Amino acid sequence: MRPLRTLLWLEWRRSRLWAATLLASLLFWAWGLHQVRFLDVGRQVATRAGLLSLAAGIGAIVLCLMIGRIRSETRHGQYQVLLLTPPTGYAHVLARFGFAIATAVVYYVILGGLFWWTFARAGVGFDAEAAIELLLSCPLYGVGLVVAPALAWTMLLMVFISAYRVSGPGWVPGTVMILASPFLLRWIVDGLARVAYELPGWRLLDSVRVAAESLPQDPEMQIELVRASYLGVPQEPFWGMIALTAIMLLIAGRLWQEVEG
Amino acid sequence: MLATLDHVTKRYVRTEGLHDVTTGFPTGEVVGILGLNGSGKTTLLKLLAGLLFPTEGTVRVFDGPPRPNRSRMVYLGETDALWPWMDPAGAVVFMRGLYKDFDERRFAALLELLEVPPRRTKAMSKGERGRLRLAMALARGAKLLLLDEPLAGIDLLSREKILGSLVREWHTDETILLSTHEVAEAEGLFERVLYLRDGRIALDAKAEELREEGRSAVDAFREVLG
Repeated sequence: MRPLRTLLWLEWRRSRLWAATLLASLLFWAWGLHQVRFLDVGRQVATRAGLLSLAAGIGAIVLCLMIGRIRSETRHGQYQVLLLTPPTGYAHVLARFGFAIATAVVYYVILGGLFWWTFARAGVGFDAEAAIELLLSCPLYGVGLVVAPALAWTMLLMVFISAYRVSGPGWVPGTVMILASPFLLRWIVDGLARVAYELPGWRLLDSVRVAAESLPQDPEMQIELVRASYLGVPQEPFWGMIALTAIMLLIAGRLWQEVEG
Repeated sequence: MLATLDHVTKRYVRTEGLHDVTTGFPTGEVVGILGLNGSGKTTLLKLLAGLLFPTEGTVRVFDGPPRPNRSRMVYLGETDALWPWMDPAGAVVFMRGLYKDFDERRFAALLELLEVPPRRTKAMSKGERGRLRLAMALARGAKLLLLDEPLAGIDLLSREKILGSLVREWHTDETILLSTHEVAEAEGLFERVLYLRDGRIALDAKAEELREEGRSAVDAFREVLG
């Protein structure tokens, strides 16, 4: 009996088409980047960075849709077989989240690779440290700060809706949670902003920034870049969001335990 | 008693599924749960499976609440709930990984006995899917089997195969609770019949006693519920 491994396998069987489609979409983004052929190198990099940011945003949305397909486990309002299985709700939540986060990491690491390719095409060469930052550290920071909490929130939302669906309309608590979330998010962001840079900044992409400065740019802008003292990205929001993700997953797991069929 | 309901009432938002039901199911009994649509059969089985909680009263299975004991029982719901991509080989991976009492050899024998084709469920007929689900259920060594309408909407030959395998696979230390509308076909299987009407027990009788009285389960069904 290998519950977590089997649940991961189950998640792979259920969601592999979504994951494969998401990863295949990177070919489309690469093609899009290839089409950007301005003469001005600065504009070229900016446009490509914009496209890649769009890819990052769309990827997060697709991942949330993938993890939120808890409704696909019901037929005529009845749960499928999963709730009758011995593994705890925590194991179910962990398996689903684990698969989604693994897909996210692969997706964002490849996106990092596309960033590197973009800069390379613009004539910016990176040393090994900068390449590792771009390919690993940046995706990790982005996934921890935005994607992981977004996935955990979606997971919690769907389990929350399902928990209430038996005895009443599940959309009522769902709507309450969606309406309440922006206020909660603002409160969290305010809190994290207050504590930001209490710890030393994470000098992420510093070498990338330096390399990017070598690009021919508007003289005024170049002055701005030189003047700006780079503190790095704050660590606190990253660790705060990781903690928040863990809390949301714990609540989702507990709720899953309570969901009736 | 393997499972008991003590003054159990289950209310839904507008209706009552069960009303003040008290009964018990000893080890090694095959019980027919019979009744018209909406009589409370599914509610009773779901309460025993821990999929519903009673509004009033107590449900106990294996001397404890149902949910912590769900690994020791089988619940075969009336809805066709298998994933469309699942085939018998996938079912083995699923069952072996999640249930420690799953017997792979028994499953293979059941697939052969029930003539389940080796293809995905989306390419199977309803009868074939029903037989696969039953094979998955019976291949476990669970001591309590809660089978909710396993014969519903399934062709005659499949129904015969399912009933035949239930007779063949039943062990004396297993308790089977089977709800069905196919009373005439399944009555040979029952040792006891529980007739439900409007969430209440209308008759709880030993099948042998009914036969001694010259009545079949179908006759009693008509008398009690007709």
